[in-house]
Amino acid sequence: MITSKFEFRSPKDVEEAVRLYREFQGEAVYLSGGTDLVPRMKLGLEKPKAVIDLKRIVPLTTVEDQGDWIRIGPLARIFDLKQNDLVGDYFPALEASLEATSCESLQMRGTIGGNLLQNSRCLFYNQSEFWRRSKGFCLKMGGESCNAVPGAKTCFANYCSDNAPALCTLSAEIELSGPDEVRRLNLEELYTNKADKPFDLQPGEILTAIFVPKKKSIGGYEKLRVRGAIDYPLLSAAFSFVDGTGKLAIGAVGPKPYVVEMKQPSHDAIGEAVEVVLKQVRPVGNTVLDPDYRKRMIPVLAGRLINKVMEGAK
Amino acid sequence: MDREYTIVGTRMTRTDSLAKVTGSASFTADLKLPRMLCAKVLRSPHPHAKILNIDTSRALRLPGVKAVVTAADAHGVKWGVFKYTQDHPMIAVDRVRYVGEDVAGVAAADEETALEALDLIQVDYEPLPAVFNPEDAMKKDAPLIHEEYANNINVHVHIEVGEVDEAFGQAHLVREDTFHAAGEAYSTLEPYATVASYANGYLDLWMPNAAPHVRAKALSNLLKMPLNKVRVRRINVGGHFGSRSEVSPGDLVTSLLSMKAGCPVKLVLTREENAACTRQVHDIQATIKTGVKKDGTITAKEFRVVYDGGAYSSTGPIAASIPYYVYEEAYRFPNVRYNGYRVITNKGIRGMYGAHGRAFLCGNEMQLDMIARELGMDPMEIRLKNGLKVGEETATKSVIISGGLEEPIRRAAEQANWTEKRAGLTEGEGIGMGCVAVMCGFPMGFRSGSACYVKLNDDGQATIVTGICDTGMGNESMAIQIASEVLGIPVEDISLVNADTVVTNLDPGAYSQAASFVGGNAVKRACEDAKRQILGFAATKMNHPAEDLDIRDRTIISKTDPSKSMPMRWIVREAFFQGKPIAATGAYMPKVDFQREWIKKPYGQMAGTFSFGCSVAEVTVDKETGQIRIPHFVAAHDCGNPINTMAVEGQIEGSVQQAGVAVLTEETRWTEGLLLNPDLLEYKVPLACDMPEIEPLIVCSNDPEGPFGAKEGGLTTRMNAYSAVVCAAHNALGVPLNEFPLTPDRVLKALDAAKGGDKS
Ligand SMILES: Cc1cc2nc3c(=O)[nH]c(=O)nc-3n(C[C@H](O)[C@H](O)[C@H](O)COP(=O)(O)OP(=O)(O)OC[C@H]3O[C@@H](n4cnc5c(N)ncnc54)[C@H](O)[C@@H]3O)c2cc1C
Repeated sequence: MITSKFEFRSPKDVEEAVRLYREFQGEAVYLSGGTDLVPRMKLGLEKPKAVIDLKRIVPLTTVEDQGDWIRIGPLARIFDLKQNDLVGDYFPALEASLEATSCESLQMRGTIGGNLLQNSRCLFYNQSEFWRRSKGFCLKMGGESCNAVPGAKTCFANYCSDNAPALCTLSAEIELSGPDEVRRLNLEELYTNKADKPFDLQPGEILTAIFVPKKKSIGGYEKLRVRGAIDYPLLSAAFSFVDGTGKLAIGAVGPKPYVVEMKQPSHDAIGEAVEVVLKQVRPVGNTVLDPDYRKRMIPVLAGRLINKVMEGAK
Repeated sequence: MDREYTIVGTRMTRTDSLAKVTGSASFTADLKLPRMLCAKVLRSPHPHAKILNIDTSRALRLPGVKAVVTAADAHGVKWGVFKYTQDHPMIAVDRVRYVGEDVAGVAAADEETALEALDLIQVDYEPLPAVFNPEDAMKKDAPLIHEEYANNINVHVHIEVGEVDEAFGQAHLVREDTFHAAGEAYSTLEPYATVASYANGYLDLWMPNAAPHVRAKALSNLLKMPLNKVRVRRINVGGHFGSRSEVSPGDLVTSLLSMKAGCPVKLVLTREENAACTRQVHDIQATIKTGVKKDGTITAKEFRVVYDGGAYSSTGPIAASIPYYVYEEAYRFPNVRYNGYRVITNKGIRGMYGAHGRAFLCGNEMQLDMIARELGMDPMEIRLKNGLKVGEETATKSVIISGGLEEPIRRAAEQANWTEKRAGLTEGEGIGMGCVAVMCGFPMGFRSGSACYVKLNDDGQATIVTGICDTGMGNESMAIQIASEVLGIPVEDISLVNADTVVTNLDPGAYSQAASFVGGNAVKRACEDAKRQILGFAATKMNHPAEDLDIRDRTIISKTDPSKSMPMRWIVREAFFQGKPIAATGAYMPKVDFQREWIKKPYGQMAGTFSFGCSVAEVTVDKETGQIRIPHFVAAHDCGNPINTMAVEGQIEGSVQQAGVAVLTEETRWTEGLLLNPDLLEYKVPLACDMPEIEPLIVCSNDPEGPFGAKEGGLTTRMNAYSAVVCAAHNALGVPLNEFPLTPDRVLKALDAAKGGDKS
C-alpha cells in the first residue's frame, strides 16, 4: 500500500510548525513517531497535503523535574520513558502502562504524545479504501450511520491509548500550543466523548507538554489482549493511589478513559467505582472478543488490579 | 539410532538458512527484469453480482499504462483440481462471487499509474443476493452461486464401511457432539507475487508455488498454450502451509498482461489482498457420533462435516476428506459413515491447510476424553487401546507399514510425566493428549512419483536435478543431504538444480507430505546408481572388487583395507575419458492404489506410508477471565528417521505455534463477505512470548520404504497439537468446549452453558 502524495517539512521550533500548518491551510498533519499516523495514511484514512515532522524540535523530546511537576516532552519515546527513573520512582501506573504498550520495536518509535493523540479505532474503520468502499462509508468516514452497529447514529470506535488511563489516574495536565494561544488543561478535558472525533483540539494545536504532579504514588496497570505483545488493549485498567486518594481509569471500551475517584479502595468502594464506569460504557462488536465479555471483565480487571496494588503497599 | 550414517540424522545447518537469516535470499517480489512493468488488479467490491459491462478505454488512455486485461483476453477455461470441479474462471466473466475476485488487470510503468488506471476502469454491476454461511447456503431458497451445484453443495464425500447402525445399536455407550471452528489465515510472511515474462512465444514464470510442474500444467490449460512453452522457475518461497499449492488468479492475470504488453510484468499483492484474494482456510462444523464397548474399544463412528468452501471448488474433494483420513489413519474403527459436504458461499476462496480440520480433529479427541471419563478410563489408555499398529488396515483399506500410534503415545506420556501430572493437578490446571497419523503422499496419477538426475562433474562434485520444491521447510537441504550421504562427498560439493519445469522432472510437490518419502527416494536412487557406476570404474582402475569399495569423504576406499584408496575425482575423470561420464537417473513411485478416487472410490491404499504422532499439552485456565496459558508442550513425532534432526525439530516447534497455540487465538472474522482482519494485527498469529516450552521428541520407526527410513517430518504435530491443547483445557474445566478458537470469551461462554445444566 502506498500513501497519497504529500510534502514533508521538518520545522526546528513550535512556532515554525504552527506557521507551516497555517501555510497548508489546515491540510497538514503533525508527525511524531508515525506509528499511528503512517498506517492510517497507508489505508487512505488520512490524505494530508503536508506532513509536519515534530522530531527535530528538541525541547519537545525532554523529561524535566520542575519541582512540583514532572514535565514530559510529548516527543519522548515510550521505550526511553519506561526506563526513566523519575517515572519509575513516582508513577508506577505509567511505568506499567508504558511497558504494556504494543511491543518494544514500536515503543522505540512511538512517542508518549503520539500515544495520547492516537486516533480511535474500529475493525470497520481501520481498513483499506477498497474495503471501506465495498462496505459503504461509516459515520467516522463521513457516512450516514455506523457499520459496526448497523443503523446507529453514534460512533463506537475505541480510544486505545495504553498510557492515557494511567496518566489520568495521576491527574496529568497537558499544554497545547496553537496559532492563537497556549493553553493548559487537565488531560481528561482533552476528550470530547465522541468516538468519531475524540479530541477537543483547535486546528493547528500542538501538544507541547505533559505535566504530572510530582508526588509519590502506588499504582499499576492491567491490559486485556489476546496475545502477549503488539496488540492494542481490548480493555484496560489503570489505578494510582496518591495522597490517600485512589483513581481508577478504564480504557479501550469507548472514546475516552473513564476515570473514577475513590477515597479508600475498600471492596465496596471498588464496586461502586466500577458501577459508575459500567453505566457509561457500551462496548460493541467492533474489535476482537465479544463485547459482553469485555464489559464483564471490567470489574474483574479493576478488582484484581486495585487489590494487587493495595496488597503490595502493605 | 541403530544405523551409521555420515550426514543423515545430524543437526546440520540447512543449506538455505544463511541466505535467509542474512536477508540475501531473494523472493518473487525482489525480482527485477529489464523493462518490467507493475501490475495491479481491479477487484470485485460485491460478494455476489452480475457484471453488466466493463469499460477499460479510459484506463488504456492513461499515459504509462501498457496493457489492460479482462476475461475477454482469457480463453474461457475454468480451474479446478478435478475435471468435475472446474468452476473458477480466475478472471470473472459475467459474475463475481466474492469480494476481492479478480475482474481486470492493469500493467503500467509504475505502481501509482497502475493504481490510477484501476480507478478509470468502469464496471457496471447488478448486485445479487449473497449467502455467507454453509447452513444457509444449503437451504432450498438460498441464492444459487453456481448453476451446477444444487443447494450450493460443491462436493459430497461419502464413505461407508461395515454395519454402522447395527454397531451403534450394540454399543455400550454412544456420544454425539458438534464442534465448530472458525476458518484461519495462512499468514505466510511473503505476500503472494507473480512475475511473468513472455517473449517469442515462451512464457517464463516465477511465483511462490509448491509444485512447479503442476502449476505450469494448470497455466498451460488456462492459457491454451503447449506445456513446453510455459516454464515455471525456481524461486525462494516465504511460507506455504497449503496456500501455494494451486494456481492463483494472479498467475493468470500477470501472464495475460505480459503477453499483451510484450514486457515482463510483476504483480505483488498487498497483505490485505493476500488475505482476502488468495485461498484461505475452511470454516468447519463437525458432528461426531462415537459408539464404544464397555472396555473403550471404538465400534462405530458417524460424521457429518460441513466445510465452508467459499466461492469456488479449489481442492474441493481433498479438503472435504483429509480431516477424516488423518483420523482413520490413527485409530481403528470397523464401522464408519462419513458425510463431508463442501458448500459454496460468497466468501473468499479456500484451499488446503497444514493444520486443516481442527473442528473435526479436536472434536474427535475431546469426545474420546469425554467417553474415557464416562468409562472411568485414562485418556491415554483409550488411545492405546484404539491406536492402529503395523500390519493393520485403516477403515478404507490402507495398510500401515511402519510406526503405529503406541510408541509416540508412550514416549510423549513418559516425557510429560503424564500419569503423575494427571494425579496431581490443582484447580485450573489441565493436561491433554492429541493423536493423529498422516499420509506421506496421496494418489495423484502419474504425478505421484518423482524422478531425479545426477551428474558427476570433472572435479568430483555433483549436480542433482530434481523437481523437489522447497517452500520454506528445508526440502532443498534435505535433497542435498541425501545426495551427500549416498555419494560420500560433502554437502558443499553438491549443486542443486530444482523446481524448474523445463529442466527438472515431475515431482508430486510440497503439499502431500511426499517430499522426503517420494522425492527424497528418487534422489537417493539416482545417487545410488551414480555410485554404482563410480565403483564399477574404480574396481577396474584399482583392481579391487567393487563390492568391497565405498566412497567416503571424496575418496574411494576399500572397506576391508583402508590403505587402498584413490581420490574419487580420478575415477570421474576416467569415466569422461572413456566417453561414459557418470550420469544417472533415479525415480520413485509410491505404492498406492491408483484406482482410488476421492469421491467415486474412497477405498484402497492411500499413501506409501504414514507418520504417527502424539502431543501432550499442559494448560492453566483462569476461570474468571477465561484466559488459557500453555506452560509446557511435548510433541512426539514418528518421522521414520530424521534426515536432519534440527530441521524436524524446527518443523515440530513451528507446528506447535501454528496449531497448538493458534487454537487459542487464530480466526478469520467476517462482516458478511468482507474479512474484518485481513492483516497481521487483528489476525492473531501467536508471538514468541505466547509460546510454551516445547520438547520435541523424534520417534524412529525406520520406514522400510522411506529413504534412510524417513517419512514426513512436522505435519503430524501440526494436525494434533490443537487437539492436545483443547483436551487439556477440557481436562482443566470439565465442560464441553465446542467452539474454536478457545478465546477467553468462548471459554467463559462454555462455563456459563455448563452451569445451565449441560455437564459432560
Ligand atoms: C502494530 C501496532 C500496535 C500498536 N499497539 C499499541 C498498543 O498496544 N497500545 C497503544 O497505546 N498504542 C499502540 N499502537 C499505536 C502507536 O504505536 C502508539 O500509540 C504510539 O505511542 C503512537 O506514537 P507516535 O509517536 O508513533 O504517534 P504518531 O503516529 O506520530 O501520531 C499519532 C497522532 O497524533 C498526532 N500527533 C502526534 N504528536 C503530536 C503532537 N505533539 N501534537 C499534536 N498532534 C500530534 C499525529 O498527527 C497523529 O494523528 C500500536 C501501533 C501499531 C502499528
